[in-house]
Amino acid sequence: MTFNSTTTMTESTKGRALRLKMQRVATRAMVAALTASASVLLVPTAADAQVRMTVAPQSEPVVLRGATIHTVTKGVIQNGTIVMERGRITAIGGPEVAVPRGAKVTDVTGKHIYPGLIDAYSTVGITEIDAVEVSNDINELGDFNPNVRAEIAVNAESRHIGTTRSAGVLVAFSTPGGGVISGLSSAMSLEGWTWEEMSMKGAAALNVNWPDPNARPRRFGGGPPPGFPGARAAQPAPKTYAEQVQALKDFFAEARAYSDAVTAGQQVRTDSRYAAMIPALKREIPVVVAAEGVAQINDAITWAKEENVRLVIRGGRDAIYVAERLKAENVPVILTSTMAAPERNYEGYDGAYNAPAKLYEAGVKFAIAGGTGGLYSYRLPWEAGVAVAFGLPQDEALKAVTINAAEFMGIADKVGSLEVGKQATLLITTGTPLDMTSNIIQSYIQGREIDMNDIQKHFFQKYMEKINQQKKKVAM
Amino acid sequence: MAFLRPRPSRTEYLVRASRTLLGLGLLLAGALPAVGLDAQQSSRIEPIAGLRDNGSGYHALVGARVVTGPGQVMDSATVVIRNGLIAAVGKNLRAPAGARVWDLKGQTIYPGFIDAHADLGMDAVPQGGDVGPTHWNPQVRAWFSTTTNLKDDSTRRVALRSLGFGAALAVPKQGIFRGTASVVNLSDAGVRERVLRADLLQAIGFQRSFQLGGMYPNSAMGTIALMKQTLMDAEWYIRANAAYEASGRSVLPPERSEALGALASVVQGKQPVIFQTESEEDYLRAARLAAEYKLVPWYRGNGYEYRLVDVLKGRTQPLILPLNFPDAPDVSSPELALNASLAQLRHWYLAPTNPAQMASAGVSFALTTDGLSTLTQFLPNLRIAVARGLPADKALAALTTVPAAWLGIEKTHGTIAVGKVANLVVTEGDLFTEEAAVRDVWVQGTRYGVTRPPQIDPRGTWVITSDDADGFKATLRLEGPINRIRGTIEREGRKAINLANVRVVSETGRLEVTFPGEQLGYEGTVLMSGSVSGEEVYGWTSLPNGTDPSFKGTRSEKVETAARGTVAKKVPVIDLPFVRPMMEYGRASIPAQPAVVLVRNATVWTQGPQGRLENADLLVRAGKVAQVGKNLTAPAGAVIVDATGKHVTPGLIDPHSHAGVSAVNESGFAIVPEVMMGDVLTHNNIWMYRQLAGGLTSSMVKHGSANPIGGENVFIKSRWGSLPDDLKIANAPRTVKFALGENPKRSPNRYPNTRMGVQEIIRDHFLAARDYEKEWKRWEKEKTGIPPRRDIRMEAVLDILNQKLLVSSHGYRADEFLALVRLAQEFGFRIQTLQHGVEAYKIASELKDAGVAAVVWSDWGAFKLESYDATSYNARLLIEAGVVTSLHSDDAEISTRMNWEAGKLLRSGLDEIQAMSTVTNSAAKAIAIDDRIGSLVAGKDADFVIWNGNPLSQFTKAEQTWVDGRKYFSLDEDVKLRAEITRQRAQLIQAILTAGAPDAQGGAGPARGRAPGKN
Repeated sequence: MTFNSTTTMTESTKGRALRLKMQRVATRAMVAALTASASVLLVPTAADAQVRMTVAPQSEPVVLRGATIHTVTKGVIQNGTIVMERGRITAIGGPEVAVPRGAKVTDVTGKHIYPGLIDAYSTVGITEIDAVEVSNDINELGDFNPNVRAEIAVNAESRHIGTTRSAGVLVAFSTPGGGVISGLSSAMSLEGWTWEEMSMKGAAALNVNWPDPNARPRRFGGGPPPGFPGARAAQPAPKTYAEQVQALKDFFAEARAYSDAVTAGQQVRTDSRYAAMIPALKREIPVVVAAEGVAQINDAITWAKEENVRLVIRGGRDAIYVAERLKAENVPVILTSTMAAPERNYEGYDGAYNAPAKLYEAGVKFAIAGGTGGLYSYRLPWEAGVAVAFGLPQDEALKAVTINAAEFMGIADKVGSLEVGKQATLLITTGTPLDMTSNIIQSYIQGREIDMNDIQKHFFQKYMEKINQQKKKVAM
Repeated sequence: MAFLRPRPSRTEYLVRASRTLLGLGLLLAGALPAVGLDAQQSSRIEPIAGLRDNGSGYHALVGARVVTGPGQVMDSATVVIRNGLIAAVGKNLRAPAGARVWDLKGQTIYPGFIDAHADLGMDAVPQGGDVGPTHWNPQVRAWFSTTTNLKDDSTRRVALRSLGFGAALAVPKQGIFRGTASVVNLSDAGVRERVLRADLLQAIGFQRSFQLGGMYPNSAMGTIALMKQTLMDAEWYIRANAAYEASGRSVLPPERSEALGALASVVQGKQPVIFQTESEEDYLRAARLAAEYKLVPWYRGNGYEYRLVDVLKGRTQPLILPLNFPDAPDVSSPELALNASLAQLRHWYLAPTNPAQMASAGVSFALTTDGLSTLTQFLPNLRIAVARGLPADKALAALTTVPAAWLGIEKTHGTIAVGKVANLVVTEGDLFTEEAAVRDVWVQGTRYGVTRPPQIDPRGTWVITSDDADGFKATLRLEGPINRIRGTIEREGRKAINLANVRVVSETGRLEVTFPGEQLGYEGTVLMSGSVSGEEVYGWTSLPNGTDPSFKGTRSEKVETAARGTVAKKVPVIDLPFVRPMMEYGRASIPAQPAVVLVRNATVWTQGPQGRLENADLLVRAGKVAQVGKNLTAPAGAVIVDATGKHVTPGLIDPHSHAGVSAVNESGFAIVPEVMMGDVLTHNNIWMYRQLAGGLTSSMVKHGSANPIGGENVFIKSRWGSLPDDLKIANAPRTVKFALGENPKRSPNRYPNTRMGVQEIIRDHFLAARDYEKEWKRWEKEKTGIPPRRDIRMEAVLDILNQKLLVSSHGYRADEFLALVRLAQEFGFRIQTLQHGVEAYKIASELKDAGVAAVVWSDWGAFKLESYDATSYNARLLIEAGVVTSLHSDDAEISTRMNWEAGKLLRSGLDEIQAMSTVTNSAAKAIAIDDRIGSLVAGKDADFVIWNGNPLSQFTKAEQTWVDGRKYFSLDEDVKLRAEITRQRAQLIQAILTAGAPDAQGGAGPARGRAPGKN
């Protein structure tokens, strides 16, 4: 399994800008370069000033030839050709596919092309440093915030956008958290100067946190007992599970009444929260319910049927115990902790790793989401890859981070597979993006050949230069 | 019915008594040795005001079943008490003239119980703290005496006595060194008359008292470190004071400490200590401490001793067991049942067998009420312990003869024998096997009534009739034990129905029952009450229709059932083999170490000079790597593992873990290198099994990052199924945790508060350690003045300076770490590793030059400000600069998949061997243990993993993990263990449901919550 470090993209790829970019990007090629031909590539350049450049929208047709194309929905095409125009895929097939006039043609023989990966549950752009509270825009105050919309808080210059893209994740659902109804997640394309340019769908899904039936009143864990110095203040008695579920139902009932009144053309005093609920109530967007335990998942399904909303379960730690019902009721699941330890000691050490395989065997539809925290959307491929080690077919793992995520979250008309008419958001790789033994060479987002640099590579370049300077000093 | 049998006349009594005198070995009152009336009276110090109050003090308890000691029973015997002592005991003994006669026919007399570890609450925390020169640390209260602080704590004393206890060891409960425990009697006498043995032993606890205040220690390892230092100080205190006296008081005396003074007899082995343990780990820690400091240890047990039965077998130190049986896990819905762990379920089932298991292992023990949430649980739990296999005579011994001997009161207490103190328990029914009631408790000849017998017994069949409007004729049947009567009512021509509730008010002869009215033709509940008088009852009812007919009835038949309910074992027998740890995936035994193992035909990543070999074999002998090569041969009898198509790597190493310890941070002081993580390892650590499943065989378990200088770390191997001390890698290098940056300055009100202060406090301690060294050198040479005390903190800092204790420093930013490297150079030593090192890449060359290894993450970052400049190229840059570079987890979960962490480095441009090195050979080198582990090189430990593909691929998993040439994990065994876990959980959950079903209360502890009305 050694990596062939001599392959680079062919010279048909024109332009100094791209060559520079490739030098920054082709990491393993760099091993060879560094060890063989010293540091010629790593003089400090303009790269220092621009860690990650945003490129212009696609202006000329681009054709990639010779790769193995993994369309996800329409099989695998050997020696394939893909044509991108004005941000969309206009043709896809074998060597016979015609090259449009004026197209930039790149030969990528020996490489693979995959659709860009999609993280259905992410905080990319709305959080920067976990422990620095002011850098977080995830949890709004209060229990019911259906009107807050992630897209407007997405920092297009976040460091994490670059690192996330480098792992092949090109679309992320930035998602608010907290409370009972957290707000609206937004489908963000990870290229653009502003959030507005990045946003594919601002109000993509309504997020609900299902109450926890096993929540216990907080105890003083390790600290002094109440009444002693340093003791935590007594917590107000929490609402019971039933009370919390009832509060959620009440909020939906109020929202539905509001929606009906608006639909009937009645005069209403406006309420931003209820107004924001209307697309979910009308089944135009999914309601994503965070639920981990068996009772939570079951109760959420029962509730969603009553409310007649498009339910997606997110979390789904215990989904395997509810598999039959999830299948029967056609409820999809977004798994958020595949690369995790099992919840219960008696469950196998691989209890989380093999959950996707079990759901697949049970016929449940599922997607897999990346790690939490701003930085960790880029772990999405590993979250899916681990499922392969524990029994999930590789093409199903790929679907779980592409088309399934797109379908559940309502953007399958735009991304999630390589099909004519969809956005040209794809990866050129040396192998499956789900395994670290392969590399991502170049990505395209809506036909833009994006800058593959990111802050982590930037630090690599800068401090490799420091090492080289110091080695030179020693040599002199 | 005493009057039914004619009593023998007085003369008959005398004749019989003299006939049986010798045979029974009796001594009559007149023949008593000198400890009599006069001696007792002359020892009274307080003058009497007014008239003397002298009752006869002369009692004869006749007709009872007398259990004189464990296994010694006399039926219809008499106990004569005179002036607080037992004057005579024997069968058919005549009550002497002048004695008050107590007819105890049908009752049982036991020797008074002794609680060998009573919480008698004599040590409430003083307002405003202790006064005087006690000790600098408020948790050290060795000077506290339960005798000098004895006071009238009547509530708890009476509660204990009502359970049958006549004497108890009163143990203080505050602090770590808690003070001295004393034996007291539980009579109502004044405090001066209650002390039996003053200040018998020193109590030591592992839980500090928050009420006493003080910052240090606030962790398990800090507590143990304080114990060690204090014991050493106590020894020094003796010498220091002796030196002061020897100098002719020509120097100033050493600092005064009442606590250290009180510990003198402890460190000299004259006074035992009693460790109050809360877990099996506490026991092991206490035993190790006792051995190390040559203490005479007693142990207050914790209820988990059955998990250490193999260890305890043959040990003879006093062990005092609580009867703290847990409530059953809530399994009342499938979802709740899903969350019950095997460890919880097993403990619920096995805890009541704890005393029985000790008894059958031959471990001697006493029992205590301590550890119960309410004292009312004591007798029911005692009976459960007996029902679950504890022989009743062992139970009695554990409450009488055993504690009496340990407490040194066996000549006066523990059995019913002439000359002994008249401490007795009078019960109705067998206290150990039936729901018996304690009637009276005698303490030193004084009777204390506890309960009165029921004065009516309404059990039987009653025919009741009512002639009023809405009147009826019915048959009422009452049966069952008298304290839990149940029954039916049957109206003529209708089906009998169960009574919902039956209550007897003994004093007034009142009977109250309720039952559903449907069967009688009423919708609702019928209330009925009656006054029982002999064989007749008169009463009235309240019917749901609003009428209240009165009735009368007569008893047609009495029931002949036992007066008291017997306590039965209400749980099914379940095959629960001993496993360690006693939880999911626990092992019955440590896997065997075959003499020779040959792993054949694999891709072997030696991570040594041989590199990676295809189609190669690995030969292991006696737990060590013997050879790697092609076509190796093995002797007959070798274990052959066919690994065709598989990959074999060295066992993975995690140089930074916090899994499997009872505590992580001791933040009470900024500088705590004296605390040792090796003191607080726990084997009850499910992560270890998961780590094995991910190929991890060794880790360094580290102190947390709350301190500029934290505690000493410990190297362990994943020897799942071993006790904590056996997890440790013997003779491994010693390493200490340092921490820089945000964490050590986070403790409010504790210096330091800046990176500058972190550096300065470290430097100041380095200087202090040098001064300490000088002081000792001077004293060693001159031997004048007060000898210096040994200071384990200073000695640890000296070890750091002398590079005997290698520094493994937590840090993120380049600046802070460079500063530490320079500080070490200033003091002439080397930092071993920088751990975390998110910005290590920024000073890669400097690290290389200073000989510092880097232990980093593959891709963690941006979780706090100092980790913002993270790059997944960190390891790559460090390796490019020539720094020895390792990965680490700092997280139990990540430590279970270190191969994938290494795999991620492939994307930074490292080759596969380099990437693998960060979790094997380079990891070992970074933490200075590469002479033992980390590569498959002849002579190194046979720690290896067999993978089903390239171990760096996300698609690969471990199939077998071997440690010391023993197969600790395999997918095959994993499948078997899972099946066994499934069986045991299912059976245990069923057992809870059975035990919790109606009419099966009391079998194994309440199935859900506590019994109503109690606490």
